Amino acid sequence: MSKNENTSKRHMGIKAANRLSNGAIYVLLILISVIWLIPFVFIVLQSFRVESTYQVGYVVPHQWGLQNYINLWNSDFKRWYLNTFIIALASAVLVTIIQLCMSYTLSRFRFKMRGPLMRFMLILGMFPGMLTMIILYRVLSDLGLTQANAVPGLILVGFASSGMGYYVSKGFFDTISRSLDEAARVDGATRLQVLYKIILPLAKPIVIYTILTAFMGPWGDYVFARYVAFGTSAGYNVAVGMYSWLTNDQINRMYTTFCAGGVIVAVPVTILFLCLQKYYVEGVTGGAVKG
Amino acid sequence: MKQYSDLEFLRLSKWQRFCYKFLAFFAAIPRAIANFFINIGKGIKKCCLRVAAEFRDIGQTFVNGDWKTKVSFLVMGFGNLTHGQILRGVMFLLFEAVFIFYMIFTGGYWLSMLPSLGKQGPTNDYDAIYDSYTTHYHDNSFKILLYGVLTIFFIVAFIYTWRMNVKQCKIIDQITKKGGKLKGSRDDLRSLVDESFYKTLLALPLTGILVFTVLPIVFMILVAFTNYDGAHNGFSNNLFTWVGLDNFNTLFSWQSAGGGQSYSATFGEILTWTLIWAFLATFTNYFLGMFVAMMINKKGIRLKKMWRTILVLTVAIPQFISLLYVSKMFARNGLINLALGPQGLGWISQPLPFWEDPTWARVTVILVNVWIGIPYLMLITTGILMNIPADLYESAKIDGANAWQQYRKITLPYMLFITGPYLLTSFTGNMNNFNVIYLLTGGAPTNPAASGAAGSVGYTDLLITWLFKITTGAESQYYLASVVGIMVFVVVAVISLVVYNVLPSIKNEEDYQ
Amino acid sequence: MASVKLTNVKKIYDNNVVAVHDFNLDIHDKEFVVFVGPSGCGKSTTLRMIAGLEEISEGTVEIDGEVVNDLQPKDRGIAMVFQNYALYPHMSVYDNIAFSLRLKKVPEDVVYDKVTHAAEILGITEYLMRKPRALSGGQRQRVAIGRAMVRDSKVFLMDEPLSNLDAKLRNQMRSEIILLRQKLDTTFIYVTHDQTEAMTLADRIVIMKDGYIMQVGTPDEVFDMPDNLFVAEFIGAPKMNIIKTKLLCENGKYYVTPFGAKIPVDGDKGKGLAERKVKGGDVLLGVRPEHINLVSAAEHAIPCTLVVEEMMGSELHLHVDTDDGTRLIVRVPTLDLSKAERSALVAGARLHISFEGKAMHLFDPATEKNLLT
Repeated sequence: MSKNENTSKRHMGIKAANRLSNGAIYVLLILISVIWLIPFVFIVLQSFRVESTYQVGYVVPHQWGLQNYINLWNSDFKRWYLNTFIIALASAVLVTIIQLCMSYTLSRFRFKMRGPLMRFMLILGMFPGMLTMIILYRVLSDLGLTQANAVPGLILVGFASSGMGYYVSKGFFDTISRSLDEAARVDGATRLQVLYKIILPLAKPIVIYTILTAFMGPWGDYVFARYVAFGTSAGYNVAVGMYSWLTNDQINRMYTTFCAGGVIVAVPVTILFLCLQKYYVEGVTGGAVKG
Repeated sequence: MKQYSDLEFLRLSKWQRFCYKFLAFFAAIPRAIANFFINIGKGIKKCCLRVAAEFRDIGQTFVNGDWKTKVSFLVMGFGNLTHGQILRGVMFLLFEAVFIFYMIFTGGYWLSMLPSLGKQGPTNDYDAIYDSYTTHYHDNSFKILLYGVLTIFFIVAFIYTWRMNVKQCKIIDQITKKGGKLKGSRDDLRSLVDESFYKTLLALPLTGILVFTVLPIVFMILVAFTNYDGAHNGFSNNLFTWVGLDNFNTLFSWQSAGGGQSYSATFGEILTWTLIWAFLATFTNYFLGMFVAMMINKKGIRLKKMWRTILVLTVAIPQFISLLYVSKMFARNGLINLALGPQGLGWISQPLPFWEDPTWARVTVILVNVWIGIPYLMLITTGILMNIPADLYESAKIDGANAWQQYRKITLPYMLFITGPYLLTSFTGNMNNFNVIYLLTGGAPTNPAASGAAGSVGYTDLLITWLFKITTGAESQYYLASVVGIMVFVVVAVISLVVYNVLPSIKNEEDYQ
Repeated sequence: MASVKLTNVKKIYDNNVVAVHDFNLDIHDKEFVVFVGPSGCGKSTTLRMIAGLEEISEGTVEIDGEVVNDLQPKDRGIAMVFQNYALYPHMSVYDNIAFSLRLKKVPEDVVYDKVTHAAEILGITEYLMRKPRALSGGQRQRVAIGRAMVRDSKVFLMDEPLSNLDAKLRNQMRSEIILLRQKLDTTFIYVTHDQTEAMTLADRIVIMKDGYIMQVGTPDEVFDMPDNLFVAEFIGAPKMNIIKTKLLCENGKYYVTPFGAKIPVDGDKGKGLAERKVKGGDVLLGVRPEHINLVSAAEHAIPCTLVVEEMMGSELHLHVDTDDGTRLIVRVPTLDLSKAERSALVAGARLHISFEGKAMHLFDPATEKNLLT
């Protein structure tokens, strides 16, 4: 290789190399976007298919129509949707309160039992939560909160133990300087005043994050909801109800209805999520890793 | 083993260094184990001393106290009441009254039945008036166990409260002797929003955790030592009772279980797959997610926000929709097989066995999990990647590192350091990832060799889905589910303990600060 | 406006680390006391115990004659300025300063008067509507001080208030604190690790190390009569030269023999030694850089080699090695040097130095206590 060639290669330029790799990245990113979006596009398209209700080998409907959505309206879906919505709303309020209490306390107070308490909850978290289902079911059924009354039962169980999930928001609280608390206390604030005058306004992102995740959780809750509702359609949430549509004996009648239901469930949640995306990202990146 | 000094160590070749570290690691194990037991011993000793000190303190309080203190040993809160601390005194007294009433009217019964879990099951008695047999229900093992545990909790709480009551007397004694002023009820209430605000804040969450997590877990641990199942539900058919370690013997026995392979073989298979799954699911997501994040983050890539939003969008859609839909997409008569099959493109003559063949199913599950998990990991890693100081890269570039070397020597160590704890929780989370497995495959395809085991065990079943299947299966062997649950706990705890002790982010917390 | 009294105050952390040992101090009304020491010496912990932000493990703290151990910070009548300012990021400057007044339910027009008055004194009136993040470091510092000012507190606590500022601003704020002190006329307790701040601000300095008080005294006292080696080295910049040498006692007269020279310990210091009947032997000799003189070769002069010279503007810092390899620092006013002398000061030049007996400090090598006080 002559010296000339060598230098010309060295001088080929950062620009050209960059353009090459950037091009490759764009191709990859487009590919990824397609893979990630395609199932959702399929769901939407199939929800408008009226010529058949079973699975087919094509995506674009031959005949478009709203028949599936009408079916949805005539089924128990309304009830399921309402159930889920109530649970989601209640847990958004209750879970948020519980988790904020827990994480604020563990981040700010240094009391004797703090260390043991946190260790204890860490160990507790290592037990599979499903183990507790059997007994919780029996207890709920003794209280009359199963089957058709599953909604209050699910709310109760959902928020009662939610204090265990304090890690993310505690990670965020830990990033707020403690000298702010101290300054406020010197300024004459009680701990309660410190919380609502100083900390909560500063913790807005994590509060919204907690509300958002607490609201979204129940929409995907399947296993416990199924356990508690136990075959009574009136107590189903959307996940349990729609799962039953895809069992072997129903799928050929209900497949497209399932797609329509999926759209109805996903659209509002997704819109809400996109509006609050900023806070979600902040919560995930700030708290999830630290916790 | 020879110890090298730092300078000697630096003279070693790469291979020698590796050997040295490798050997040093194993050489340290006996010592670590010894330390573990020594620490346990120390802990026990400390505990004993502590208890002894408590008793001594109680004794001294009694001997040194005046008559009010002495009465307080029997009538809780008496000391507080007579010293004007009305609120505290009333609370103590109330608690004692409730406790005594509870123990007399119900607690005693539950406690006395706890060793036997019930003496008489339902009986079919002849009713002379109606000339028919009617079933009479008697003891209820389930309730006995549940309320028995609750009663024990209550007794522990009572002992603790009684101890507090004694301590209060001592404090009152000390303060009054010094001529100080006691805190009144008003101060107590005020402190609940100030110094003791944490008590107010924690009251509700901890009660919830105690009742809805601790109690059930203690209950279920105990169930592992009983024969509680569908046929012994403790009330309407048969009582259940203590069986000692029988259930553990069942799970670990090598004897074939009803025609199939032994329970221990089934358990071993599921555990192995659970660990493989957790490992692959965690690290495929982690590295691919990081890769996507780095692509989007690269300088000169436009529309960063759009790419991110497209991926984040998929986080928003409830998992059960996407998982169920994808599950059906890959089914035998699902979209993919139909599209590729004779009626569609005609590329294949037989449907692809996505969920029918064990290997296909396992690979597909992991791929779909990547699809589910990447957006989330992309979000997490984006945040951390942006926090890596740019001057590290600049200095590496000047030192002559190419892109790959920069990744290997700067990005990756930094990421692993920061995300170490996250990877651990993510690993254990994946071990218990019920949703993905259950909604995608339901554990299918079925493992014929394990047909003798409880629940219908499949090749993609994790311990957690197996547990679920056991409890919902025809025979509902709750005792076995609870043994499996305890095993899950043991595995998770051991892994966490080991990883926690070698994790650099725990050991050298300041390295990257 | 109050006195502060600490009696046998101790701080023991949960892990049995003792941060402060047996701290006793009487701070008079309207006094300006500075706690100074290297990081980790317990000075901030002590301040925070006075503020009520840290529990007092043992001993008592009294403010204005009242034991405040069990009082909440807000009930102790103190105001505090924090190292990182601790401004509430979501409130405007006005709201920050008004925060404590509003908690006390002071009528809004009184709040207005007080806040604007404080802002005027501090020169931050035009920033009142801004959020803290839109302010520079110096301005934030002023807001923090303003917040403390409006509380009309009995004691003013400041925890390293200037350490986050750059050097120039720090000097400026330092003189402003002196002015502020004249205006407020109250008791100040000030924590810093910077001995210059301590010397310039304090009525009395408390020098701490590893949780112990090393010396309490006025700036003059700690500079001229350090109780021990630590204080001697800590106060003064560049720090005092310490030379291992011997003390001779001949006919009631004392001499030190650094580097083969024989220098009499004369004046009050010699008398002091005689009164205490100090025997000769090993001592540590301390000489401040400004008390070492450059001389021409003479009888008592010590020969040495110049290693580094630092031009500080009005003075030169010369780092010299004596023939046995001891490194000393010499401070020479630039004015004292002729042009020729100045140009001769290059690395490697041979110099002679000497110092006088009255400028010397002598320490016991074992106890590190000052032999002269």
